[in-house]
Amino acid sequence: MAINPIAGGPNPVSGVSGIQGTQRAQPTAKPGFQDTLQTYMKNVDKDQHASSAAVKDLLSGKSEDVLPAVAAMAKADMSFKLLVGVRNKMIEAYKQTLNMQV
Amino acid sequence: MAVNGVGSSVDIAVSGLRAQSQRMQVIAENLANAHTTRTADGGPYRRREVVLRAGGDGPSGVTIETVRPDMENPLQRVRMPGHPDADADGYVTMPNVSIPSEMMNLVVASRAYQANAAVLKRYQDSVDNALELLR
Repeated sequence: MAINPIAGGPNPVSGVSGIQGTQRAQPTAKPGFQDTLQTYMKNVDKDQHASSAAVKDLLSGKSEDVLPAVAAMAKADMSFKLLVGVRNKMIEAYKQTLNMQV
Repeated sequence: MAVNGVGSSVDIAVSGLRAQSQRMQVIAENLANAHTTRTADGGPYRRREVVLRAGGDGPSGVTIETVRPDMENPLQRVRMPGHPDADADGYVTMPNVSIPSEMMNLVVASRAYQANAAVLKRYQDSVDNALELLR
């Protein structure tokens, strides 16, 4: 996504203008990868908070039902694992790009 | 991946766990009151049973519709002349709880609980398997 403005620009050296270009493009264009990732991370964070709140309720005796905590922990665990998987894959792609011979 | 989607397998399995644990709770109440002759409504205890209902459109788990008293099985009359609740002939009306069949229902409910727990575990395993493919 950041590549297009750099490649299209008349001066390939000015990478900064490329970054500015993406920032300007954000409001008009459809949500970019960053927004998608941020939204997903917020959801994962929400799951984690829900899970810890459920466990806290259970341990403090506010709730006697163990099932909400089980469900919240299962969901938080699975969504966090998915996030970690996506993140590992992204780092891997970044490293591969970095090691690319030009 | 709809880990948190509406009607996700986690929620369905947990609704099953909740329904079965409610069943076990009602069975425990029946067994505890198997010889109770006095209740708030007057008369002996009547065995209760859980009525379950499937969720709305599409898979969305099970909900507990109601817990209703069992009016089918007749109350038993036992001759116990010394009992404070005995009638003029010396008979006491006892609850319609049959302990052997309650124990059988308890086995069914706890097996169903295990089955729902197995579904939850298998679903988590299959999500883990899918995430293995990312590596």
